[in-house]
Amino acid sequence: MARDSKYDILFEPIDIGPKTLRNRFYQVPHCIGAGSDKPGFQAAHRSLKAEGGWGGINTEYCSIHPESDDIHRVSARLWDEGDVRNLRAMTDHIHKYGSLAGVEMWYGGAHAPCMESRCTPRGPSQYASEFETLTYCHEMDHDDIAAVQQFYVDAAYRARDAGFDIVYVYGAHSYLPLQFLSPYYNKRKDDYGGSIENRARFWVETLEKVKKAVGDDCAIATRFAVDTLYGEAGIEVERDGLRFVELADPFVDLWDVNVGDIAEWGEDAGPSRFYRQGHQIPWQKYIKTVSKKPVLGVGRFTDPEKMSEVIRAGHLDIIGAARPSISDPFLPTKIEQGRLDDLRVCIGCNVCISRWEIGGPPMICTQNATAGEEYRRGWHPEKFPKAGSDDTVLVVGAGPSGAECARVLLERGYTVHVVDKSDKVGGCVNDIATLPGLGEWGYHRDYRETQLNKLMKKSKDSQLALGADAMTADEALAYGAEKIVIATGSSWVADGTNPLTHEAIPGADAGQPDQATPEQIFSGAKKIGKRVLILSADAYFMAPSLAQRLREQGHEVTVAAGVELGRYMHFTLEAPNMHRMLHELGIEVISDVWASRIEKGRVELYNIWGDGYRREYRGPGKLPRSENKTHKWHEFDTLVLVTGRKSNDELYRELKARKDEWAQHDVKDVYVIGDAWAPKLIADATFEGHRLAREIEEDDAQHPKPYRREVAVWGAPHMPGGKVEIEYQE
Amino acid sequence: MKILVAIKLVAALDEDFEIREDGCDADPDYLDYQLNEWDDYSWEVALQLAEKFPDKIEAIPVTVGPERAEAGLRKCLAKGGERGIRVWDESLEGSDPMVIGHLLAAVAKREQATMVLAGTLASDHAYAQTGMCAAAELGWAHIAVVSRLDLDPEASEANVRRELEGGIEEELAIQLPAVMTIQLGINEPRYASLRGIKQAKAKPLETLTPSELGLSPQEVGEAGSLSQVRRMYIPEKGQAELIEGTPAEQATRLAEIIKELRGDA
Repeated sequence: MARDSKYDILFEPIDIGPKTLRNRFYQVPHCIGAGSDKPGFQAAHRSLKAEGGWGGINTEYCSIHPESDDIHRVSARLWDEGDVRNLRAMTDHIHKYGSLAGVEMWYGGAHAPCMESRCTPRGPSQYASEFETLTYCHEMDHDDIAAVQQFYVDAAYRARDAGFDIVYVYGAHSYLPLQFLSPYYNKRKDDYGGSIENRARFWVETLEKVKKAVGDDCAIATRFAVDTLYGEAGIEVERDGLRFVELADPFVDLWDVNVGDIAEWGEDAGPSRFYRQGHQIPWQKYIKTVSKKPVLGVGRFTDPEKMSEVIRAGHLDIIGAARPSISDPFLPTKIEQGRLDDLRVCIGCNVCISRWEIGGPPMICTQNATAGEEYRRGWHPEKFPKAGSDDTVLVVGAGPSGAECARVLLERGYTVHVVDKSDKVGGCVNDIATLPGLGEWGYHRDYRETQLNKLMKKSKDSQLALGADAMTADEALAYGAEKIVIATGSSWVADGTNPLTHEAIPGADAGQPDQATPEQIFSGAKKIGKRVLILSADAYFMAPSLAQRLREQGHEVTVAAGVELGRYMHFTLEAPNMHRMLHELGIEVISDVWASRIEKGRVELYNIWGDGYRREYRGPGKLPRSENKTHKWHEFDTLVLVTGRKSNDELYRELKARKDEWAQHDVKDVYVIGDAWAPKLIADATFEGHRLAREIEEDDAQHPKPYRREVAVWGAPHMPGGKVEIEYQE
Repeated sequence: MKILVAIKLVAALDEDFEIREDGCDADPDYLDYQLNEWDDYSWEVALQLAEKFPDKIEAIPVTVGPERAEAGLRKCLAKGGERGIRVWDESLEGSDPMVIGHLLAAVAKREQATMVLAGTLASDHAYAQTGMCAAAELGWAHIAVVSRLDLDPEASEANVRRELEGGIEEELAIQLPAVMTIQLGINEPRYASLRGIKQAKAKPLETLTPSELGLSPQEVGEAGSLSQVRRMYIPEKGQAELIEGTPAEQATRLAEIIKELRGDA
């Protein structure tokens, strides 16, 4: 099928400075955990998107000098020839597909802690970062300004040598150029502070110098947060924002515009819980009223209809995307081929981002299990090795892990039967997607449901058996499959077992009419009382989401949290607005408490720091701290137990215990994946299903094959011609 | 007793398709064949009866169609039953429900069946006639759109329910032998297991020609049919118009369209 002509506008080339972008699909700079130290990961992940049709593809933020060192987080670096060599792999591979490669030159100021380089970062004024802990910058004098501007110029030359077509001066997310521009940071009284013209001077001069240096060969881009969302205390788009665009426009070939800062950059990378597609347009749309240059912007654009609309409306020229390009690296190709039902739509969960926030493990994606696995495991999202045998496979459970496993097995040509008690593919996602703001998480189910139905049609002996009775071990053994995959998920515990005490809570029993698990709330079978107390020891979304849902349904909600409420949501950038939401809804949060016992209508809570801080040995049977006497009773009409999850692994364990019967039923192997193996993120459950499907021919397919590691190699110096021997100063 | 279950592979259209050159059917290149949804239910009725009375009832799927129709028989046999019957030769091209009913009646006589079950209709042509045509040919009692069937193989009649308009149910007794067409939802059709699918590949399928069933060339195909497809076509759709321009221009154009439709223009 050919593309719909209404999307033609997305495929029109556009000139940016000395370069031409082949279409309007552009992967903006985003982190993946590769930097310049994992060049294979970097080259494979980025060039795969070039293969998938993205016209422009960038590195993540790329440090220009050791003074901008972000360790514990992973950035790319362009400090020296060693980095040039490593990033060259990325540009070479991107160029094979006719796409442009860009680099986002970054100097962080006080936000870069320099934990590896131990440098002192410079900034327009001296302040402590509101983002990074305990880092101050040194206020620049004019010599410093000239020196840092020269860092950009030198890095730009190295970028050109590394083969980059687009060179950024990165001033979004409150990094150095914006620190000069914004009165929130810039308190200077000289010609670099005060008026907008003065505050813009550093950035405009830097652009001019970089353009003069490499502008004949490279397009000069700048990423600009056009509104920092603090009102007059920062940048407002219609005031300083547009004035800056006027001042810098002559030296910019491409504007990459967004909103927000770094401390709350979820206002830019908006999670679907709070923001819809195109949520930044109300700010971004102003730039084209002033600039004569192409303007691009992000907004988790996943729908070609919306993409075409924002271009036709004159809001943007180019569709910027980070998360949608991770979720589906072949998004442009699928639009081009009219295969919209094959789009693997980003669900906006921000689990990709969480990995950068955690400090730089390889990025993962909930939707796309191959993200980050391109190089080290050789996984291509659209290509699958042919089935290695005629074995038929029974997959028990059509949740994230089982559905993904079945999808990939079918892609490989296996005959697959999927059975599930539910009448819908999706497992736990069917419940989760009903939580407030999480409707788009349903795309995870929708993609697999669509693909399974399509693939099943082509595989005549395969079958999707929904609404089936729970499968017994006898039935599974007699089913006639050579391989059995157990993907039966996990359940919230009914007895209060939790990660703090690793024990049940006395009196906790979801069988009681006034206590409930999340599943019981989803099923709607239990009457929920007026006063709800949610007891949470889960670090992700379940407790805050249920609190919001029950409050919005009219209940009075209190959350008692034994672990930080929504801890993981800091990493997914959902935490700030989650806390605002809880506050606005009047949901009371009691932190740092746990439950000692539960009786009808009341729970006894204690402060987890309530035992003595002095530790001493007091003999066997005696605690080394003084007794915790902070216990207090709290009343409820309904207690919701969000304390922990447990694998639904009974079927797997029975099948394993009956291994001696496998041969008589022609069963060769039995596997367990996803939450049934151990409860985990949806992303990881999806990954496990995918991995097993790709490795099912292995002798021990239950456990992953080793992947190709990229590490510093003893004997191979980072710098070309460098030394590796241990040498001390004398 | 034998229960014959008439099944059919129905044609499902791809998103894009074209009409065959003779203008009488969709181009087979764009068709995907699958078992008629109703047949899952009628086969399940027969299987449940055969399981309830294991030594007394045999369920046999029968189809009229070319070799690809064997996939439908195997799909049934993957769930149960021991053998299937397919009727075909080239002369059957263009047969209408009268001819198919005639053939099914001949198979029923040959097998000395006591009951013929069919789907209420097939989702592609939606004639809802084939079962009734077979009944007419056999001269048996018949009931269409059955939503419940209680049968004792020793008894001379069966009890049957039908759903009528407005939520009314009708309960009837029907004399055996009989022909019934089965409605969706009468049961929950089972899924086949992989073992069942593998075993079905080895189950015997008997292939019969019309002449083996005693039908002459004049009685089958277009010659034997009472109806004939003259033309199959895609009806023209109304064209939507996107009104563009400033709000004032759009309002003007909208007013024009309203006037045109009212005949005022």
